[in-house]
Amino acid sequence: MRSLLRRYREPVFVAFLLAAPFAIFAARARKPMSHTLLDRAILALTAPVEKAIVLGVNGVADAWHGYVALRGVREENLRLRREVLRGQAQAAAMAEVKGENDRLKRLLEYADRTSPTRYLVAEVIAVGASPHSHVLRIARGTADGVAQGAPVLAPEGVVGQIAVAATHYADVQLILSPTSAVPAVSQRTRGRSTVKGVGDFTRCKLEYALRTDDLQEGDLLLTAGGPGFFPKGLPIGRVVNVQKRPTGMFTAADVVPAVNFSRLDEVMVVLGHVPAGPSVVNASTVGAQR
Amino acid sequence: MTLRNALVIAVCLAASIVEATVPHLFHLRAARADLLLSVVLYLALNDEVVQGAALSLAAGYLSDLTSATPPCLYTVLAVLTFVVVRLAGSAIKTDGGIQSAVVAFAASLIHSSLAAVLFYFVAPGSQGVLLQFVPLFWSALATAIAAPAVFSVLRRLDAKLVPADGATLVR
Repeated sequence: MRSLLRRYREPVFVAFLLAAPFAIFAARARKPMSHTLLDRAILALTAPVEKAIVLGVNGVADAWHGYVALRGVREENLRLRREVLRGQAQAAAMAEVKGENDRLKRLLEYADRTSPTRYLVAEVIAVGASPHSHVLRIARGTADGVAQGAPVLAPEGVVGQIAVAATHYADVQLILSPTSAVPAVSQRTRGRSTVKGVGDFTRCKLEYALRTDDLQEGDLLLTAGGPGFFPKGLPIGRVVNVQKRPTGMFTAADVVPAVNFSRLDEVMVVLGHVPAGPSVVNASTVGAQR
Repeated sequence: MTLRNALVIAVCLAASIVEATVPHLFHLRAARADLLLSVVLYLALNDEVVQGAALSLAAGYLSDLTSATPPCLYTVLAVLTFVVVRLAGSAIKTDGGIQSAVVAFAASLIHSSLAAVLFYFVAPGSQGVLLQFVPLFWSALATAIAAPAVFSVLRRLDAKLVPADGATLVR
Protein backbone atom coordinates (compact mmCIF):
# COMPACT_ATOMS: atom_id res chain seq x y z
CA MET A 1 0.00 0.00 0.00
CA ARG A 2 2.77 2.36 1.00
CA SER A 3 4.73 1.58 -2.16
CA LEU A 4 1.58 2.09 -4.21
CA LEU A 5 1.06 5.50 -2.62
CA ARG A 6 4.70 6.36 -3.20
CA ARG A 7 4.37 5.31 -6.81
CA TYR A 8 1.25 7.41 -7.45
CA ARG A 9 2.23 10.23 -5.09
CA GLU A 10 2.00 12.96 -7.72
CA PRO A 11 -1.41 12.10 -9.23
CA VAL A 12 -2.87 11.51 -5.76
CA PHE A 13 -1.55 14.85 -4.50
CA VAL A 14 -2.82 16.75 -7.55
CA ALA A 15 -6.20 15.00 -7.35
CA PHE A 16 -6.43 16.05 -3.71
CA LEU A 17 -5.55 19.65 -4.61
CA LEU A 18 -8.35 19.57 -7.18
CA ALA A 19 -10.93 17.76 -5.07
CA ALA A 20 -10.53 19.73 -1.83
CA PRO A 21 -11.25 23.23 -3.24
CA PHE A 22 -13.98 21.80 -5.49
CA ALA A 23 -15.69 20.30 -2.46
CA ILE A 24 -15.52 23.68 -0.69
CA PHE A 25 -16.82 25.42 -3.83
CA ALA A 26 -19.73 22.99 -4.19
CA ALA A 27 -20.61 23.18 -0.51
CA ARG A 28 -20.33 26.95 -0.07
CA ALA A 29 -21.22 28.38 -3.48
CA ARG A 30 -24.67 29.52 -2.41
CA LYS A 31 -23.79 30.46 1.13
CA PRO A 32 -22.78 33.91 2.42
CA MET A 33 -19.15 34.78 1.89
CA SER A 34 -16.88 35.15 4.88
CA HIS A 35 -13.21 35.72 5.59
CA THR A 36 -11.05 33.11 7.28
CA LEU A 37 -8.12 34.04 9.48
CA LEU A 38 -5.73 33.50 6.57
CA ASP A 39 -7.90 35.66 4.29
CA ARG A 40 -7.78 38.46 6.86
CA ALA A 41 -4.02 38.15 7.25
CA ILE A 42 -3.45 38.39 3.48
CA LEU A 43 -5.93 41.23 3.19
CA ALA A 44 -4.10 43.07 5.97
CA LEU A 45 -0.95 42.66 3.88
CA THR A 46 -2.23 43.55 0.42
CA ALA A 47 -5.02 46.09 0.99
CA PRO A 48 -2.78 48.80 2.54
CA VAL A 49 -0.44 48.47 -0.46
CA GLU A 50 -3.41 48.78 -2.84
CA LYS A 51 -4.61 51.80 -0.90
CA ALA A 52 -1.16 53.41 -0.97
CA ILE A 53 -0.83 52.84 -4.74
CA VAL A 54 -4.27 54.27 -5.53
CA LEU A 55 -3.86 57.23 -3.17
CA GLY A 56 -0.34 57.91 -4.49
CA VAL A 57 -1.33 57.82 -8.15
CA ASN A 58 -4.50 59.81 -7.53
CA GLY A 59 -2.51 62.33 -5.48
CA VAL A 60 -0.04 62.90 -8.32
CA ALA A 61 -2.89 63.11 -10.83
CA ASP A 62 -4.79 65.57 -8.62
CA ALA A 63 -1.68 67.72 -8.18
CA TRP A 64 -1.16 67.82 -11.94
CA HIS A 65 -4.81 68.57 -12.62
CA GLY A 66 -4.68 71.24 -9.91
CA TYR A 67 -1.77 72.91 -11.65
CA VAL A 68 -3.51 72.76 -15.03
CA ALA A 69 -6.73 73.99 -13.50
CA LEU A 70 -5.02 77.08 -12.06
CA ARG A 71 -4.64 78.41 -15.55
CA GLY A 72 -8.39 78.69 -16.06
CA VAL A 73 -9.33 79.32 -12.48
CA ARG A 74 -10.87 82.79 -12.97
CA GLU A 75 -13.33 81.65 -15.64
CA GLU A 76 -14.06 78.52 -13.60
CA ASN A 77 -14.69 80.66 -10.52
CA LEU A 78 -17.18 82.87 -12.33
CA ARG A 79 -18.97 79.86 -13.77
CA LEU A 80 -19.13 78.17 -10.36
CA ARG A 81 -20.49 81.33 -8.72
CA ARG A 82 -23.26 81.42 -11.28
CA GLU A 83 -23.95 77.73 -10.61
CA VAL A 84 -24.00 78.32 -6.85
CA LEU A 85 -26.55 81.11 -7.28
CA ARG A 86 -28.66 78.88 -9.49
CA GLY A 87 -28.29 76.04 -6.95
CA GLN A 88 -29.34 78.30 -4.08
CA ALA A 89 -32.44 79.33 -5.98
CA GLN A 90 -33.23 75.65 -6.64
CA ALA A 91 -32.60 74.76 -2.98
CA ALA A 92 -34.99 77.48 -1.87
CA ALA A 93 -37.64 76.14 -4.23
CA MET A 94 -36.99 72.59 -3.00
CA ALA A 95 -37.32 73.71 0.63
CA GLU A 96 -40.66 75.23 -0.27
CA VAL A 97 -41.79 71.98 -1.88
CA LYS A 98 -40.52 69.97 1.09
CA GLY A 99 -42.41 72.18 3.51
CA GLU A 100 -45.54 71.74 1.48
CA ASN A 101 -44.95 67.97 1.34
CA ASP A 102 -44.52 67.82 5.13
CA ARG A 103 -47.73 69.77 5.67
CA LEU A 104 -49.64 67.48 3.31
CA LYS A 105 -48.18 64.40 5.00
CA ARG A 106 -49.31 65.68 8.37
CA LEU A 107 -52.73 66.37 6.91
CA LEU A 108 -52.93 62.80 5.67
CA GLU A 109 -51.57 61.51 8.98
CA TYR A 110 -48.81 59.80 7.09
CA ALA A 111 -46.25 58.22 9.38
CA ASP A 112 -42.73 58.31 8.06
CA ARG A 113 -41.38 54.95 9.13
CA THR A 114 -37.98 55.21 7.51
CA SER A 115 -35.30 55.05 10.18
CA PRO A 116 -32.60 57.74 10.19
CA THR A 117 -30.00 56.61 7.69
CA ARG A 118 -26.30 57.36 8.05
CA TYR A 119 -23.93 57.33 5.12
CA LEU A 120 -20.23 56.58 5.30
CA VAL A 121 -18.06 57.80 2.44
CA ALA A 122 -15.53 55.16 1.40
CA GLU A 123 -12.67 55.31 -1.05
CA VAL A 124 -12.44 52.63 -3.74
CA ILE A 125 -8.95 51.14 -3.63
CA ALA A 126 -9.17 48.11 -5.93
CA VAL A 127 -11.41 46.17 -8.27
CA GLY A 128 -11.72 42.48 -9.09
CA ALA A 129 -9.43 41.58 -11.96
CA SER A 130 -11.37 38.75 -13.51
CA PRO A 131 -14.26 39.48 -15.88
CA HIS A 132 -16.39 37.37 -13.53
CA SER A 133 -15.65 39.33 -10.42
CA HIS A 134 -17.91 42.32 -10.19
CA VAL A 135 -16.44 43.62 -7.01
CA LEU A 136 -14.88 46.78 -5.59
CA ARG A 137 -12.65 46.94 -2.55
CA ILE A 138 -13.22 49.94 -0.28
CA ALA A 139 -11.03 51.32 2.47
CA ARG A 140 -13.68 50.97 5.19
CA GLY A 141 -14.43 47.95 7.30
CA THR A 142 -16.13 46.64 10.39
CA ALA A 143 -14.10 49.10 12.48
CA ASP A 144 -16.01 51.91 10.74
CA GLY A 145 -19.36 50.22 11.24
CA VAL A 146 -19.57 48.55 7.84
CA ALA A 147 -21.55 45.31 7.98
CA GLN A 148 -22.07 42.48 5.54
CA GLY A 149 -25.08 43.13 3.34
CA ALA A 150 -25.00 46.90 3.83
CA PRO A 151 -26.15 48.78 0.71
CA VAL A 152 -23.52 50.78 -1.16
CA LEU A 153 -24.47 53.83 -3.20
CA ALA A 154 -22.98 56.48 -5.46
CA PRO A 155 -24.50 59.93 -6.07
CA GLU A 156 -25.96 58.58 -9.33
CA GLY A 157 -27.61 55.52 -7.78
CA VAL A 158 -27.21 52.00 -6.45
CA VAL A 159 -23.76 50.38 -6.58
CA GLY A 160 -24.14 47.09 -4.71
CA GLN A 161 -23.89 45.49 -1.31
CA ILE A 162 -21.07 44.62 1.07
CA ALA A 163 -20.22 41.01 0.25
CA VAL A 164 -17.56 40.53 2.88
CA ALA A 165 -16.05 42.92 5.41
CA ALA A 166 -12.70 42.85 7.18
CA THR A 167 -11.61 45.21 9.97
CA HIS A 168 -10.48 48.08 7.74
CA TYR A 169 -11.54 46.93 4.27
CA ALA A 170 -14.62 45.53 2.61
CA ASP A 171 -15.54 44.02 -0.76
CA VAL A 172 -18.61 45.36 -2.52
CA GLN A 173 -20.54 43.01 -4.81
CA LEU A 174 -21.87 45.15 -7.67
CA ILE A 175 -25.45 44.91 -8.88
CA LEU A 176 -23.95 43.76 -12.21
CA SER A 177 -22.97 40.42 -10.71
CA PRO A 178 -25.01 37.42 -11.90
CA THR A 179 -25.56 36.55 -8.24
CA SER A 180 -27.22 39.89 -7.52
CA ALA A 181 -30.85 40.91 -7.89
CA VAL A 182 -32.48 44.13 -6.71
CA PRO A 183 -36.24 44.62 -6.24
CA ALA A 184 -37.25 47.63 -8.33
CA VAL A 185 -40.19 49.88 -8.98
CA SER A 186 -40.80 51.99 -12.07
CA GLN A 187 -40.88 55.69 -11.23
CA ARG A 188 -43.58 56.35 -13.85
CA THR A 189 -45.88 53.33 -13.60
CA ARG A 190 -45.01 52.19 -10.03
CA GLY A 191 -44.92 48.64 -11.43
CA ARG A 192 -42.64 46.28 -9.53
CA SER A 193 -39.90 44.16 -11.05
CA THR A 194 -36.42 42.80 -10.33
CA VAL A 195 -33.15 44.10 -11.79
CA LYS A 196 -30.77 41.20 -12.18
CA GLY A 197 -27.07 41.31 -12.99
CA VAL A 198 -25.84 39.32 -15.97
CA GLY A 199 -22.13 40.00 -15.62
CA ASP A 200 -22.12 42.76 -18.22
CA PHE A 201 -20.70 46.14 -17.17
CA THR A 202 -23.12 48.10 -19.33
CA ARG A 203 -26.47 46.53 -18.60
CA CYS A 204 -28.59 44.38 -16.34
CA LYS A 205 -31.68 42.32 -17.08
CA LEU A 206 -35.21 43.22 -16.03
CA GLU A 207 -37.19 40.31 -14.65
CA TYR A 208 -40.72 39.81 -13.38
CA ALA A 209 -42.03 43.06 -14.92
CA LEU A 210 -45.69 42.40 -15.56
CA ARG A 211 -46.80 42.65 -19.19
CA THR A 212 -49.69 44.85 -18.11
CA ASP A 213 -47.33 47.46 -16.57
CA ASP A 214 -46.90 49.55 -19.75
CA LEU A 215 -43.15 49.70 -19.32
CA GLN A 216 -41.49 52.02 -21.85
CA GLU A 217 -37.98 52.80 -23.11
CA GLY A 218 -36.22 55.23 -20.79
CA ASP A 219 -38.38 54.56 -17.74
CA LEU A 220 -36.39 55.18 -14.56
CA LEU A 221 -36.26 52.27 -12.11
CA LEU A 222 -35.91 52.92 -8.39
CA THR A 223 -35.23 50.58 -5.52
CA ALA A 224 -38.47 49.15 -4.16
CA GLY A 225 -37.24 49.03 -0.59
CA GLY A 226 -38.50 46.52 1.92
CA PRO A 227 -36.82 44.78 4.83
CA GLY A 228 -33.42 43.40 3.91
CA PHE A 229 -33.09 45.28 0.63
CA PHE A 230 -31.84 48.68 -0.46
CA PRO A 231 -33.51 51.76 1.00
CA LYS A 232 -36.53 52.82 -1.03
CA GLY A 233 -36.39 55.27 -3.95
CA LEU A 234 -32.75 55.09 -5.06
CA PRO A 235 -32.10 55.19 -8.83
CA ILE A 236 -31.03 51.82 -10.30
CA GLY A 237 -31.08 52.58 -14.02
CA ARG A 238 -33.16 53.16 -17.13
CA VAL A 239 -35.14 50.60 -19.07
CA VAL A 240 -34.02 49.83 -22.65
CA ASN A 241 -34.78 47.16 -25.27
CA VAL A 242 -38.33 46.61 -24.08
CA GLN A 243 -39.73 43.52 -25.77
CA LYS A 244 -43.50 43.46 -25.60
CA ARG A 245 -44.74 39.92 -26.02
CA PRO A 246 -48.27 39.05 -27.08
CA THR A 247 -48.44 36.23 -24.53
CA GLY A 248 -46.97 35.40 -21.15
CA MET A 249 -46.99 37.20 -17.83
CA PHE A 250 -43.82 39.28 -18.04
CA THR A 251 -42.17 41.87 -20.27
CA ALA A 252 -38.52 41.32 -21.17
CA ALA A 253 -36.18 44.33 -21.07
CA ASP A 254 -32.65 45.45 -20.25
CA VAL A 255 -31.58 48.07 -17.75
CA VAL A 256 -28.72 50.53 -18.24
CA PRO A 257 -27.34 51.14 -14.73
CA ALA A 258 -27.41 54.71 -13.45
CA VAL A 259 -23.86 54.33 -12.15
CA ASN A 260 -20.76 54.16 -14.34
CA PHE A 261 -19.00 51.35 -12.47
CA SER A 262 -15.65 51.80 -14.16
CA ARG A 263 -15.34 55.37 -12.86
CA LEU A 264 -16.12 55.02 -9.19
CA ASP A 265 -13.57 56.63 -6.91
CA GLU A 266 -15.76 57.06 -3.85
CA VAL A 267 -18.94 55.35 -2.74
CA MET A 268 -21.30 55.69 0.23
CA VAL A 269 -22.08 52.81 2.56
CA VAL A 270 -25.48 52.96 4.21
CA LEU A 271 -24.94 52.36 7.91
CA GLY A 272 -28.40 52.85 9.32
CA HIS A 273 -29.94 50.18 7.13
CA VAL A 274 -30.45 46.72 8.60
CA PRO A 275 -29.84 44.01 6.00
CA ALA A 276 -31.76 40.73 6.15
CA GLY A 277 -28.79 38.50 5.52
CA PRO A 278 -25.05 38.72 5.28
CA SER A 279 -24.81 38.01 1.56
CA VAL A 280 -25.82 39.89 -1.53
CA VAL A 281 -29.46 39.70 -2.50
CA ASN A 282 -29.85 36.34 -4.08
CA ALA A 283 -31.67 36.03 -7.36
CA SER A 284 -33.47 32.87 -6.35
CA THR A 285 -34.62 34.49 -3.10
CA VAL A 286 -36.17 37.41 -4.95
CA GLY A 287 -37.76 35.13 -7.50
CA ALA A 288 -39.24 32.98 -4.77
CA GLN A 289 -40.74 35.97 -3.02
CA ARG A 290 -42.78 36.99 -5.98
CA MET B 1 9.13 26.01 2.03
CA THR B 2 12.06 26.87 -0.19
CA LEU B 3 13.15 30.42 -0.88
CA ARG B 4 12.05 30.00 -4.47
CA ASN B 5 8.51 29.00 -3.45
CA ALA B 6 8.32 31.95 -1.06
CA LEU B 7 9.41 34.29 -3.84
CA VAL B 8 6.87 32.84 -6.29
CA ILE B 9 4.17 33.48 -3.69
CA ALA B 10 5.51 37.01 -3.26
CA VAL B 11 5.25 37.45 -7.05
CA CYS B 12 1.66 36.15 -6.85
CA LEU B 13 0.85 38.68 -4.11
CA ALA B 14 2.38 41.49 -6.18
CA ALA B 15 0.45 40.30 -9.25
CA SER B 16 -2.82 40.27 -7.31
CA ILE B 17 -2.17 43.84 -6.12
CA VAL B 18 -1.32 45.03 -9.64
CA GLU B 19 -4.30 43.35 -11.26
CA ALA B 20 -6.63 44.83 -8.62
CA THR B 21 -5.33 48.42 -8.78
CA VAL B 22 -4.43 49.00 -12.44
CA PRO B 23 -7.97 48.46 -13.83
CA HIS B 24 -9.28 50.84 -11.16
CA LEU B 25 -6.69 53.54 -11.87
CA PHE B 26 -7.14 53.34 -15.64
CA HIS B 27 -10.93 52.83 -15.49
CA LEU B 28 -10.74 49.58 -17.43
CA ARG B 29 -14.03 47.80 -17.78
CA ALA B 30 -13.24 44.49 -19.41
CA ALA B 31 -9.59 44.57 -20.46
CA ARG B 32 -8.31 43.28 -17.14
CA ALA B 33 -5.20 41.15 -17.27
CA ASP B 34 -5.28 37.94 -15.25
CA LEU B 35 -1.66 38.01 -14.06
CA LEU B 36 -2.13 35.12 -11.65
CA LEU B 37 -3.25 32.91 -14.53
CA SER B 38 0.04 33.74 -16.26
CA VAL B 39 1.88 32.62 -13.12
CA VAL B 40 -0.06 29.32 -13.17
CA LEU B 41 0.84 28.84 -16.86
CA TYR B 42 4.50 29.42 -16.11
CA LEU B 43 4.39 26.94 -13.24
CA ALA B 44 2.64 24.35 -15.40
CA LEU B 45 5.29 24.62 -18.07
CA ASN B 46 8.34 24.82 -15.83
CA ASP B 47 7.81 23.37 -12.37
CA GLU B 48 7.83 19.92 -10.89
CA VAL B 49 4.26 18.57 -10.55
CA VAL B 50 3.76 18.59 -6.77
CA GLN B 51 5.42 21.95 -6.24
CA GLY B 52 3.72 23.56 -9.26
CA ALA B 53 0.27 22.29 -8.31
CA ALA B 54 0.65 23.57 -4.75
CA LEU B 55 1.82 26.98 -5.96
CA SER B 56 -1.04 27.08 -8.49
CA LEU B 57 -3.44 26.42 -5.63
CA ALA B 58 -1.93 29.40 -3.81
CA ALA B 59 -2.29 31.59 -6.92
CA GLY B 60 -5.92 30.52 -7.35
CA TYR B 61 -6.59 31.22 -3.70
CA LEU B 62 -5.28 34.78 -4.13
CA SER B 63 -7.52 35.20 -7.19
CA ASP B 64 -10.47 34.12 -5.08
CA LEU B 65 -9.53 36.60 -2.40
CA THR B 66 -9.68 39.56 -4.79
CA SER B 67 -12.76 38.52 -6.71
CA ALA B 68 -15.52 37.91 -4.12
CA THR B 69 -16.86 35.12 -6.31
CA PRO B 70 -18.08 31.87 -4.71
CA PRO B 71 -15.29 30.49 -2.49
CA CYS B 72 -12.61 28.40 -4.21
CA LEU B 73 -13.92 28.96 -7.77
CA TYR B 74 -10.58 30.27 -8.97
CA THR B 75 -8.63 27.87 -6.76
CA VAL B 76 -10.25 24.91 -8.55
CA LEU B 77 -9.70 26.53 -11.93
CA ALA B 78 -6.06 27.34 -11.20
CA VAL B 79 -5.23 23.73 -10.30
CA LEU B 80 -7.28 22.48 -13.25
CA THR B 81 -5.43 24.86 -15.59
CA PHE B 82 -2.14 23.63 -14.16
CA VAL B 83 -3.12 20.00 -14.82
CA VAL B 84 -4.41 20.61 -18.35
CA VAL B 85 -1.44 22.75 -19.42
CA ARG B 86 0.93 20.29 -17.77
CA LEU B 87 -0.61 17.40 -19.72
CA ALA B 88 -0.38 19.38 -22.94
CA GLY B 89 3.04 20.68 -21.95
CA SER B 90 5.04 18.88 -24.61
CA ALA B 91 2.94 20.50 -27.33
CA ILE B 92 3.21 24.00 -25.89
CA LYS B 93 6.21 26.25 -26.37
CA THR B 94 6.67 29.55 -24.63
CA ASP B 95 10.21 30.43 -25.58
CA GLY B 96 9.43 33.81 -27.09
CA GLY B 97 7.16 36.65 -26.01
CA ILE B 98 4.68 36.05 -28.82
CA GLN B 99 4.42 32.33 -28.01
CA SER B 100 3.81 33.14 -24.35
CA ALA B 101 1.15 35.66 -25.35
CA VAL B 102 -0.64 33.20 -27.63
CA VAL B 103 -0.65 30.49 -24.95
CA ALA B 104 -1.86 32.98 -22.33
CA PHE B 105 -4.62 34.22 -24.66
CA ALA B 106 -5.93 30.71 -25.33
CA ALA B 107 -5.61 29.68 -21.69
CA SER B 108 -7.38 32.82 -20.50
CA LEU B 109 -10.30 32.25 -22.88
CA ILE B 110 -10.70 28.62 -21.78
CA HIS B 111 -10.19 29.50 -18.10
CA SER B 112 -12.76 32.32 -18.22
CA SER B 113 -15.26 30.21 -20.18
CA LEU B 114 -14.97 27.47 -17.55
CA ALA B 115 -15.47 30.09 -14.85
CA ALA B 116 -18.58 31.29 -16.71
CA VAL B 117 -19.94 27.74 -16.87
CA LEU B 118 -19.35 27.19 -13.16
CA PHE B 119 -20.88 30.59 -12.46
CA TYR B 120 -23.91 29.56 -14.49
CA PHE B 121 -24.46 26.59 -12.20
CA VAL B 122 -24.12 28.78 -9.11
CA ALA B 123 -26.37 31.54 -10.46
CA PRO B 124 -28.84 29.81 -12.80
CA GLY B 125 -30.47 33.13 -13.70
CA SER B 126 -27.31 34.42 -15.37
CA GLN B 127 -27.23 34.28 -19.13
CA GLY B 128 -24.16 32.12 -19.29
CA VAL B 129 -21.15 32.10 -21.54
CA LEU B 130 -22.37 33.72 -24.74
CA LEU B 131 -23.34 37.11 -23.36
CA GLN B 132 -20.09 37.42 -21.50
CA PHE B 133 -17.87 36.52 -24.43
CA VAL B 134 -16.91 40.13 -25.23
CA PRO B 135 -15.48 40.92 -21.76
CA LEU B 136 -13.77 37.50 -21.80
CA PHE B 137 -12.12 38.34 -25.11
CA TRP B 138 -10.79 41.68 -23.85
CA SER B 139 -9.62 40.10 -20.61
CA ALA B 140 -7.82 37.37 -22.59
CA LEU B 141 -6.19 40.00 -24.79
CA ALA B 142 -4.97 41.95 -21.75
CA THR B 143 -3.70 38.72 -20.19
CA ALA B 144 -1.85 37.89 -23.42
CA ILE B 145 -0.19 41.31 -23.43
CA ALA B 146 0.86 41.00 -19.79
CA ALA B 147 1.92 37.34 -19.86
CA PRO B 148 5.40 37.81 -21.43
CA ALA B 149 6.26 40.27 -18.64
CA VAL B 150 5.12 37.81 -15.94
CA PHE B 151 7.02 34.97 -17.62
CA SER B 152 10.10 37.16 -17.83
CA VAL B 153 9.96 38.04 -14.11
CA LEU B 154 9.61 34.37 -13.15
CA ARG B 155 12.36 33.26 -15.56
CA ARG B 156 14.75 35.82 -14.08
CA LEU B 157 13.82 34.72 -10.60
CA ASP B 158 14.50 31.08 -11.51
CA ALA B 159 17.74 31.93 -13.28
CA LYS B 160 19.05 33.60 -10.14
CA LEU B 161 17.71 31.15 -7.59
CA VAL B 162 17.70 27.65 -9.02
CA PRO B 163 21.43 26.91 -8.81
CA ALA B 164 21.67 28.13 -5.24
CA ASP B 165 18.33 26.92 -3.99
CA GLY B 166 18.36 23.52 -5.62
CA ALA B 167 14.68 23.52 -6.54
CA THR B 168 13.83 20.91 -9.10
CA LEU B 169 12.58 22.42 -12.29
CA VAL B 170 11.56 20.65 -15.43
CA ARG B 171 13.08 22.33 -18.45
